[in-house]
Amino acid sequence: MQLSGLRYGAKLLQLVEFPVADFLTGSATNEELQLMLDKYKKLVVKPIFNGGVGKKGKAGLIKIVDNLIDAIAAKRDLYFAEHTYGNKVIRANGVTFEAFIPSELEVYFSITSSSEKREPIFTITPYGGVDIESLPADKKITVPIEPFIGLKSFSITNSLCDLGCPEEFISPLVQNLPKLWTLFNDYGLTTLELNPIRMFKDSRGRLIPYACDIKAGFDQDNPAWKRVGLPPTIFQSDVSQFESEINQLRTYQGQSDVLELNPNGTIIPFMFGGGANSAATETLGSLAIFSSDFGGNPPYEKMYEISRIVFKYWYDKANVLLIIGGKANNTDIYVTFKGIFDALRDHVAAHGRKPIYTVIGRGGPNLVKGLFYGKDILDTLKLPYRVFGYDTSMISTIEYAKKIEQWWADKGKEEFIAKIG
Amino acid sequence: MRPIKTKPFDYFVGIQSLEELVNKDSRVCIVNILGSESRKVTPVSHEYSGGNIVAGVQYGKHGVLETRRGDIPVYQSVRDVMHEGHAFDMGVIYLPPSAVSQAVSEMIQLNEDLKRIVIVTEKVSLKDSRNVRYICQEAGVDVIGANCLGVANVWDHVRVGGALGGDHPEEALVKGSVAIHSNSGNFTTTIAEYLKTKGFGITTAVSSGKDVIIHFALPEFLFAAQNDSRTKAIVLYVEPGGYYERMALEMIRDRKFGFNKPIVVCVTGRWKKNITRAVGHAGALAGSGDDALSKEQWFDDYFGVECFDPKHPAVSKRGVRVSSIQSIPEAMKYVYEKIDEAPDFEPHGDLSLKPWLGDKLIRVPVELDIPIVKAMPPYDKQIQEINKQVGAHYLRQSMRNKSGASRMHPATQVSELHGKSVLDLSQHTMEENIYFSLGKVMPESADIPTINLILNLFLKMDESRMDWVDIGRNNGATPNAYIGSQIALIGNKSLLAKTKAQIQEIINLIREFGVDERTTHFPEEMDEYIKSAMLTKDPQLKSEVSEMLMKEIKKSKKQCIAVQVCQHIIQLAEASQLEIRDTYEFLLGSIATCIFWTPMLEKRITREAVEDSMTYFYVVSRIVAYSVIDRPNNKFWKKLIDARISNINASFTENAFKILFNRAPTAADLYEFKTLIGLTITNGPGTISAKGAKESVSARNHISMAFVGYLSNTGFAHGGNGFEAVKFLLDNFKGSALKDPGDKQHGIDLNAIALRVVKQYAQYKQEAKELGNLDYAKIPCVNHPVFKGNDINIDPREKFVRTEFEQKAIYNVFLDFYHRLVQGLFDEGVTKNVFCVNIDAVLAVISLKLVWNEIQGGTFTEKQVQDLVFTMFLFGRAIGTIGEIADHRDRGTDMDCRTPQKELRFVL
Repeated sequence: MQLSGLRYGAKLLQLVEFPVADFLTGSATNEELQLMLDKYKKLVVKPIFNGGVGKKGKAGLIKIVDNLIDAIAAKRDLYFAEHTYGNKVIRANGVTFEAFIPSELEVYFSITSSSEKREPIFTITPYGGVDIESLPADKKITVPIEPFIGLKSFSITNSLCDLGCPEEFISPLVQNLPKLWTLFNDYGLTTLELNPIRMFKDSRGRLIPYACDIKAGFDQDNPAWKRVGLPPTIFQSDVSQFESEINQLRTYQGQSDVLELNPNGTIIPFMFGGGANSAATETLGSLAIFSSDFGGNPPYEKMYEISRIVFKYWYDKANVLLIIGGKANNTDIYVTFKGIFDALRDHVAAHGRKPIYTVIGRGGPNLVKGLFYGKDILDTLKLPYRVFGYDTSMISTIEYAKKIEQWWADKGKEEFIAKIG
Repeated sequence: MRPIKTKPFDYFVGIQSLEELVNKDSRVCIVNILGSESRKVTPVSHEYSGGNIVAGVQYGKHGVLETRRGDIPVYQSVRDVMHEGHAFDMGVIYLPPSAVSQAVSEMIQLNEDLKRIVIVTEKVSLKDSRNVRYICQEAGVDVIGANCLGVANVWDHVRVGGALGGDHPEEALVKGSVAIHSNSGNFTTTIAEYLKTKGFGITTAVSSGKDVIIHFALPEFLFAAQNDSRTKAIVLYVEPGGYYERMALEMIRDRKFGFNKPIVVCVTGRWKKNITRAVGHAGALAGSGDDALSKEQWFDDYFGVECFDPKHPAVSKRGVRVSSIQSIPEAMKYVYEKIDEAPDFEPHGDLSLKPWLGDKLIRVPVELDIPIVKAMPPYDKQIQEINKQVGAHYLRQSMRNKSGASRMHPATQVSELHGKSVLDLSQHTMEENIYFSLGKVMPESADIPTINLILNLFLKMDESRMDWVDIGRNNGATPNAYIGSQIALIGNKSLLAKTKAQIQEIINLIREFGVDERTTHFPEEMDEYIKSAMLTKDPQLKSEVSEMLMKEIKKSKKQCIAVQVCQHIIQLAEASQLEIRDTYEFLLGSIATCIFWTPMLEKRITREAVEDSMTYFYVVSRIVAYSVIDRPNNKFWKKLIDARISNINASFTENAFKILFNRAPTAADLYEFKTLIGLTITNGPGTISAKGAKESVSARNHISMAFVGYLSNTGFAHGGNGFEAVKFLLDNFKGSALKDPGDKQHGIDLNAIALRVVKQYAQYKQEAKELGNLDYAKIPCVNHPVFKGNDINIDPREKFVRTEFEQKAIYNVFLDFYHRLVQGLFDEGVTKNVFCVNIDAVLAVISLKLVWNEIQGGTFTEKQVQDLVFTMFLFGRAIGTIGEIADHRDRGTDMDCRTPQKELRFVL
């Protein structure tokens, strides 16, 4: 759960009264745009992407304009701009016109968690406005934060001094940056990055740091982010409809994590355990429709509901149903298999049978009882299957499922329909 | 704070060696010990570890957790544990995530001897996790987790925290010389299992968890492993996210501690590089430099060799990286050769593909056609045993005020049985619904004649039994009472008990001998068994009915193993000139097994429900048989109960109609009759009729007696009240020239009648209010607590039935009247909007229409009409009660309907 840009980021910063550049959205009238141009002389036009999206500048998706005609043209160009970020191509849905803040200095500031320190850290540099990774080590400083104390002004002062920040900028930064800890700590953030912060000189010559762009990540295990009052839709680019339905089942008892990988995939993979999730997804590659972790001993009702949704979306498209996990420690195999196969049975009863090959590799409590639950239902539904115990390598079972999928797609399914129907 | 630093770290680490991490001297306190996970896991841990758990905490409760090593005392708080003098140095937390940091704080504040805390809980927020880190660092307490399964010291036979090794830890956790640190709890156990295949056992296994913050991470683990004299080598399972591994390797490189033990590491999760949201482990989300590929590189650089390739194995003394966990044992074998060490024991098993179960439907290509193998012990025996089991299974629980059969849908307010609304059920016949109530699916059309046959067969009885019914009726008993008196006497009569035993025998045969639809020849041992256990030389009772049932089974073409086995038994008897023991009951049992085989195999219903199926059919059929209203004159009834075969193949619904109305139904009559029955099948488990049945089951009565429970919980207020609505209509149509309520050209001025009723009611209401009586009577069957508040209100259930009737050109003058009445009430200002005509009105108007001829013709007295309306309600509920009783018998526990003492109140 991430957001970027001022459209919603401003709301976050306003919670702690951190100065943020004025902006208008794409719905602004020409008159409003002209007024803003009159006031700030230049506007920065940026596309709005849902979720956390960076490197817009590098992709040429940020335009600075100084007149209305160019502003409108930039809006037209950027409103539905496409951007390749990570492995995704995403499309903008709107623009912001942000006040251009003239500044002699651009500051980068972030708060995140360090696995090495195992505590929160802040990173600061007065050479901001660029990718932080591209800066040499001597141009940036990272400092631990004591969680029960927060950002200490002297840590910021010392860091800026050490980095050679001109003195006049230090005081306004030290006055404002500690507010960001409150935002980070109180609203369930995992990362907060302001880049750049531009130092605006007001009419009385006072310097004020203005956040001109923001990226924030939220901890989905900390409900505090809900207090911000952001519309949930802004995180929707993160989740597909399928993921969204499964996510609604998220509780602390039993995992229900899914990540849709390839809607054109042909294997439905029920993965149990974080390790199985990581290893199985890697082995299945693009054949996996989604990556999942349904371990953590989910109760029957949850497993049934997860399975119901899975079959609703993918049963008709898949060649293979794969149920894979190691030797479970506490996940009850009978309970989970009962949930999966009851849902399969009910799906077939409601929507019709379609041949699909089932491959199972599993171990754990109530193993045989669970395997037979699945076997009996598959027998009744006249669906083919192979079941492996935990004395077979999990990865070999997945490789076997891949070969079955290939055969099934080539001719196995046709042969099966001809023979069994 | 000036942080505590313990060399070689610049933070606190209390564990110097893996031997110290957890051992036989550790004493443990579990927080949330009675939570659902701990309640299952903790007794196994306690028993495996020789009873090292001194106490547990369950906030707000106290008691014990029973284990085979003795009871673990449970207290309301850590303070109480300390106060009672239970010393412990390890805490384990099973609490929900939001409570974890407080529990850590509580333990640290109250127990100065505390050395380590294991946090099992998943989804602890990052904020709480960093706060836990801070306070534990300050207090000098090590943390393992969160989101982990704890630690196990195999040499000391101790595990603390979660369920490492599952419910039989000694199977996977075999003593040896390898230490495991795994980001995955499941893989900790799985890797231990895999290592056995090359002869390696375990010293200490750590499930580290894989949240963003790993509290007992790789640097600390490797330091402690180096200092552990038992450990010769290390296995790591690593996922993306975090720089713990780089940090550990840098410490080794910088000689922060003299590490020289080999490592076999598996890094997975390259695919996670580009995802922006965690799936699986919360912390397995890579940033720019901590993805799987980077981590692989860190290790490859450290080892100085490429990733392990079993075909060209190359390892260094520092170890090697493997691409998947299945290569760990093989790689470890080469690593041990490299360091001149021998494995811990002889290899045990292998990891090759070994299918335990497979279908026989289709041959897969030769290269994939791996023969089914016998599973390893103890699973081989379990497979044999469980193969004999069949049908659904439910966990037993208190079923008071609960049902797995019925509910009222919260959104539509329409009641459902097994997920089907009563509106849907109203479109099915009684026989279909009787089957559905037990089988949870509608019967196959080919089975419906058989179901009718059985239900009609069970109508047959000795007419003298009705003398007792008549006595009750003459005493003014209501239908539920006089019918119930006879149902109570059914008990567990021999016919039903023997039929049940026959069903058990048939199912056992099929499962014990492993035969199915694809079996072409039944095994000889099975035939021998049948001959010895099911056939006899003794002549068995035969009748016209049994001959007919025999033919029914013989001619069946159903593709079902139960049919094939029963046909085979008959053939075997004939071929060997023997008779089937208890032939009639065998035939009934055969039919029951055949018609319920599929839902049982589909795990919709339990085996017990199938075994009891004929009892349910028998009781419901008898309820119908005893309900005859005008016995002396009802020729239909006389024929139906007569021992001779007549009307036995007719629809049971039609026969039930004849028994009640003493006439053959028209198509419209039959449709309305089944609609009415269907609509009354259930109103959810909260109705007193359902509760009556459930409470009787709870007292462990026979099925027949549970039906008496439902019957005794109906009465003038519940079932009999249907007549009050009928009476309202009767009073208003009395004296009218209405001949046929189904004729749209009835010639009656309905508006005039409605207006008269409205005016009378308006006057009554006004007078009542003037007298201060706000509890004045309401017109029956209009308005509804849910379907109200609009300008025009509609009860969707009533609309459904009305639409169905309209489509079938079925007219009901009384329903028409009701709609004019609610409009009239609004037009005259008696109501603020147009009230709905509710579902009870539908029941009343159907009832009155069906019985109108009898009333007008004077063939039924008012008491008989009252009984008839009441009895139709009983028919519907009898069907729903089948599902309710079967569900409670499957899921409930003895006495579970008892009201707890704390809910009881004394009222003055």
